[in-house]
Amino acid sequence: MSYRVGVDIGGTFIDFCFFNEQTDDIFTLKVLTTPSKPGSEVMEGLKIAQSRHGIEPSEITSFVHGTTVGVNTLIQGVGARLALFATENFEDVLELARLRMPETYNLQSSRPDPLVAKDLVFSIRERMRSDGKVLRALDRDSVVEAVARAREKGAEGIIVALINAYRNADHEREVVRIVREVAPELFVFASTDIWPVIREYERTTTAVINGYVHPRVAHYISSLQAALREHAVQPEPLVTKSNGGIMNAELGKENCVSMLLSGTASGVMGGAFVASRAGCSDALTIDIGGTSADVAVIIDGKPQFAAGEKVGPHSLYVPAVAVSSIGEGGGSVAWVDDFGVLKVGPESAGSDPGPACYGRGGTKPTITDAFAVCGLIGHDSLAYGSISIDVDKARAAVGTIADRLGWSLEATAQAIINVAISGMYLEINKLIARHGIDVRSFTLVAFGGAGPMLAPMLALELGIRQVLVPTTPGVVSALGGLVSDIRNDFIASHYLTVASNNMEAIRAGFEELKREALLWLREEQKFKGEPTFLLSADMNYAGQSFEIETDLEADWLEGEDVTAIIDAFHARHVQLYDFHDADAEVNIVNLRLVVTAAGPRPELKSVPVSPAPAEPARHVPAIFADKKVQAGLYLRHDLVPGHSFEGPAIVIQSDTTTCVPEGFSASVDGFGNIMLQATAEKTLI
Amino acid sequence: MTDKATLQILANHFRAASESMAYTLYRTAQSAFVKETEDFTIALVTPEGTTFSVPLDYGATWYPGLDYGPGIERISEYNEGDVCLTNDPYSGFLATHTPDIHMWKPIIVDGQLVCFAVGHIHNTDMGGAVPASLSRTLTEIHQEGIRFPPCKLYDKGVLNQELLDIMMTNVRQPEQNWGDLKAFVGALNTGERKVREIVAKFGVEAVTQGMHDMLDYGESQAREILRSMPDGVYEFSDYCDEDSLNGYPCRLALKLTISDGEAELDFTGTDTQLTSSLNVPTGGNPRHTLMLVGVYYILYSLNQNLMLNAGLTRPFTCILPEGSVVNPVFPAAVGMRSLTCGRLRSLIFGAFAQAIPERMPAAPAGSSSIVNVMTTEPKTGRRIIAAIDPIVGGSGGMPTRDGTDGSGADGAYLKNTPVEINEAEVPIEIIRYRLAPNSGGAGRWRGGLGTMLEFKVFSPHTRITIRNRDRSRFRPWGILGGKAGKPSDSILNPDTPRETILGNQDFVIAEPGDVFRIFSPGGGGRGSPLDREPARVFRDVERGFLSEKLALEEYGVVIVAGAVDEAATETRREERRAETDTTAFFDFGPEREEYEKVWTREAYDALTEIMFSLPVEWRFFIKHRIFRALEEAGDTEHGSAELVRRAYEGLLDELPQIREAVPA
Repeated sequence: MSYRVGVDIGGTFIDFCFFNEQTDDIFTLKVLTTPSKPGSEVMEGLKIAQSRHGIEPSEITSFVHGTTVGVNTLIQGVGARLALFATENFEDVLELARLRMPETYNLQSSRPDPLVAKDLVFSIRERMRSDGKVLRALDRDSVVEAVARAREKGAEGIIVALINAYRNADHEREVVRIVREVAPELFVFASTDIWPVIREYERTTTAVINGYVHPRVAHYISSLQAALREHAVQPEPLVTKSNGGIMNAELGKENCVSMLLSGTASGVMGGAFVASRAGCSDALTIDIGGTSADVAVIIDGKPQFAAGEKVGPHSLYVPAVAVSSIGEGGGSVAWVDDFGVLKVGPESAGSDPGPACYGRGGTKPTITDAFAVCGLIGHDSLAYGSISIDVDKARAAVGTIADRLGWSLEATAQAIINVAISGMYLEINKLIARHGIDVRSFTLVAFGGAGPMLAPMLALELGIRQVLVPTTPGVVSALGGLVSDIRNDFIASHYLTVASNNMEAIRAGFEELKREALLWLREEQKFKGEPTFLLSADMNYAGQSFEIETDLEADWLEGEDVTAIIDAFHARHVQLYDFHDADAEVNIVNLRLVVTAAGPRPELKSVPVSPAPAEPARHVPAIFADKKVQAGLYLRHDLVPGHSFEGPAIVIQSDTTTCVPEGFSASVDGFGNIMLQATAEKTLI
Repeated sequence: MTDKATLQILANHFRAASESMAYTLYRTAQSAFVKETEDFTIALVTPEGTTFSVPLDYGATWYPGLDYGPGIERISEYNEGDVCLTNDPYSGFLATHTPDIHMWKPIIVDGQLVCFAVGHIHNTDMGGAVPASLSRTLTEIHQEGIRFPPCKLYDKGVLNQELLDIMMTNVRQPEQNWGDLKAFVGALNTGERKVREIVAKFGVEAVTQGMHDMLDYGESQAREILRSMPDGVYEFSDYCDEDSLNGYPCRLALKLTISDGEAELDFTGTDTQLTSSLNVPTGGNPRHTLMLVGVYYILYSLNQNLMLNAGLTRPFTCILPEGSVVNPVFPAAVGMRSLTCGRLRSLIFGAFAQAIPERMPAAPAGSSSIVNVMTTEPKTGRRIIAAIDPIVGGSGGMPTRDGTDGSGADGAYLKNTPVEINEAEVPIEIIRYRLAPNSGGAGRWRGGLGTMLEFKVFSPHTRITIRNRDRSRFRPWGILGGKAGKPSDSILNPDTPRETILGNQDFVIAEPGDVFRIFSPGGGGRGSPLDREPARVFRDVERGFLSEKLALEEYGVVIVAGAVDEAATETRREERRAETDTTAFFDFGPEREEYEKVWTREAYDALTEIMFSLPVEWRFFIKHRIFRALEEAGDTEHGSAELVRRAYEGLLDELPQIREAVPA
């Protein structure tokens, strides 16, 4: 037998997904994280797999791994002490950022402190022009002096980010060379080696984040590699990337930013994969855990990409699968303000102490407690038996605000759920408006521990008629690693008008990107198969301050087809903004190239469906939509393809609970997914 | 009464509707005003025109309390599919300068008018005397472009083509205006669809009740915040540097009375209306939104769960003397009211700072100048018009931390343009773009630093415009012993024999090789600089934000050989404490202190009395003549009411027709 293994490290658990390449069977398991010994839990999981499923380490042919080590380093503020070398007279690039503050109505709105304090920013005497010509030659002495002062200040590493280096990186390269020569003990990154894009703040902060997390990420990956070798796992480990792809873990030691959002991105990839196999090409994936709730848009089976994704208070400007936070998850705390108005969040009980009903010392009422009071959860232990629900504690917690509102416990719990749902609705609604999509024909793909609990109610609110609950909603992220391609992004900022006299430059620019991509794929990623290249360009109308990424075809470049390129941009502009400007000059700001290379991809096993009503294990009293009902309680492992049942119902399984309100009928498809279908003539909205 | 859970749920749904409208408009509009500066607003208002829901993610921060009533009532009948608009300030003071087109669309369900979807958009140009329709030099509204009183752009879904043609004929960029109007109508339609969904879900009665309860909720929140403030009377005044091109200062005065959850804002003592476009049109509406923008900031800063809607404005009453800057009479020009509005915000901040010093920051920079360049590409001769950057200053020192550097407070919404983008698009070389060292007002918590931009131009006759120049003279004030921030300035060819100080000049022509430098004010400091930890002062020195010289002079921190000399610092500080007057609440900086030696409170009261006894058309002229007379008198130390009256008497002798004009 041979197995592909996907591993996703979350805040509380590590999820494993084992795919048997001969039988297409999937096994999953979870172990608790041990933050003090990163990597050791991976080994523990492999041992359990060996003892429980007989999977030998030597049978593992591929090991894909998503890690939060980079994100945690950034959010906890425990990264490297860095020095930044910046062009003289432009040293405040991190302080100025893009000026705009997070809250525009708050006089005391604040930004996080820069990751490099200004006393560790040193001036480099040089200046490159925007056309790539040297305005002021690099002064070597200024570099040597900066290194000396950085050392004095105890810097562990140096980031070099110079004005207009996106156009000509000679000065950055030369500075790096001098640093290596005079201070070989310091690590050094040039902004253009990390992400060579126009816009000095975005490029600089990207390189700074990379350097900030680098020592911890590199250490973590080295430990993992050593541990896997020790356990006779043959293949080099791969990591999942922010862009939804994978690469050799070894490469992540240097290019840390590209794997910063590895976990969230692979969740979306896993969700998109499950949805498209189930025949749902347009979907919203909704991943709700104890402390987070994230939504991503899938159109035609593909996730959407964006730059500027939030990582704690920081923004990340490398291509990443676009994920929007819509709240703080099942641990969000309900409270009543001075005017008696019921609110939910943004405070979260987190994973420690967690909701009151977890019995770990939490006393504040959370969304999860409200579900417990309504009898929607607590019929079995949660999270693979690690948590048992104490309904009395939930009632006590909800009771604290029921008293203030003067309502019954049940009415209060129901109100908490309603307010929470309306808050998520508000956030998803913005996402819908931003994309200009109509989601009524979309499928809501629910995963994470609390996703299937909240998603059906949210679907009613959004007018979505179909909800998909994967077989093992807890391990969708781990599955995501198994179904992703090798993928890397390349960018070059050119700033050219789209016109025939520039076509040669545009074509040459793409050729150069392609050369870089192949070099990366063959030399660094060691991939021997056939790659695919996706070409695109960030374009705008002259004078616009933002760009729109537009897909391009290789033929247009070969044929120097200016019209085709401009028309593609007009069409994209219409798609996003409902208008185009036929007379305006069109610019290309960035050339982009994505190289992808598919490994063997697992196929989900489908079995023939023979329709039959499912029998509930029993009926339990529950409150759904303000009504006391007897809900059918179903055990997920008893459900087989073809089974169907009607809401109100509750489905329990070791990693989640699915709450099916009245007005939904449920059926199990050939892959084992539960598909909920709104039956009412008209849903609420 | 809506129950307290449903209220929150309804509020979320209405905000979802408003946010959807704002996103739709932002996504589909064409002009830079929408796409880049987000100069637009969106709201839902009751059938009476009271704003009950606004978006928070997109758009300007000025209108959560806007009253659409005066516009709504000027249209006699509403039907499904109607879309109404106005841009005329003098038709109800809904629009407040001509480039702002306000629109409203009735949402009628089963024959019942449930609410209106509304908003405004700043059009780049509405015609008139100057491109973009705005200039300080304009003196009456007729020069500021074509005006539309409230009228229907769509009647029962049918476009009023004649109306549109008239607009298109009179504006300089008709295509862009029409593009934005279409986007706007799209956004209103989105709002209508979302509200219909809400009505379908909750029922028309619950929705109607809910919107009124949301207003009541906003009102109670505002009252609660006011009740947390000590009752009392708090007076304050602040100045715009100039009341017209190269004019005299413009005084704004406020007497704030807080009493049991209510606040009266009496603007008596504010200058007479101006013969420039710096007037703020309010029609004397005691809750006009332009007068309360500073209030929204304060309320939101004190409670971030605040429900932003017109309910907030109910506990506030403004007294706005007719014929003053804050209640000009027709046909006063109003185009550049945004400059005055910036100062009105500092006026309100200063009054409230005295009421709740423990919770308020010192003055923010209060001047966000937008730098634009019109030039030609040397190689191609192509004309280029580009917005270079907003030059935003720092925010004021806060109760427990320093003011934000280079942004923050009421300028927090502005975004800069990267140096690399500017250089790629515009033939200029940016020489420096950085924080302005030493600009933050000294204090226990210092003011945020201003920013500095300097660039060289390469083409002949390059025109640089800098909108909203102010605070080049009067500084952002410090409080509680904190010092005022450094003022702004702009300079052509700095540090050369050809250096020209431009001050508040908002237009300059530069030739090849010329260098233009501008820097914004720093925020005011909060608390005595002598109480700032020496380590923190030293850190500012290490970071290049403060010179060693100023560390010594302003903070009394002695730095020797790259380290703080603790003992010498303590000695120095003791000496300084002994000689420092600690009784003043505000520090205004030397310019205002000098100015107020002549223009004392008594002198200004006398001036105000004279001004408001005169017919409107005489006021600005006589103000300037009295100012000139006092200048010519040359006494820079002892201003008095007597001097002002004497100057006026002199004028009466010279121009006896004034007596005839004055009503008995």
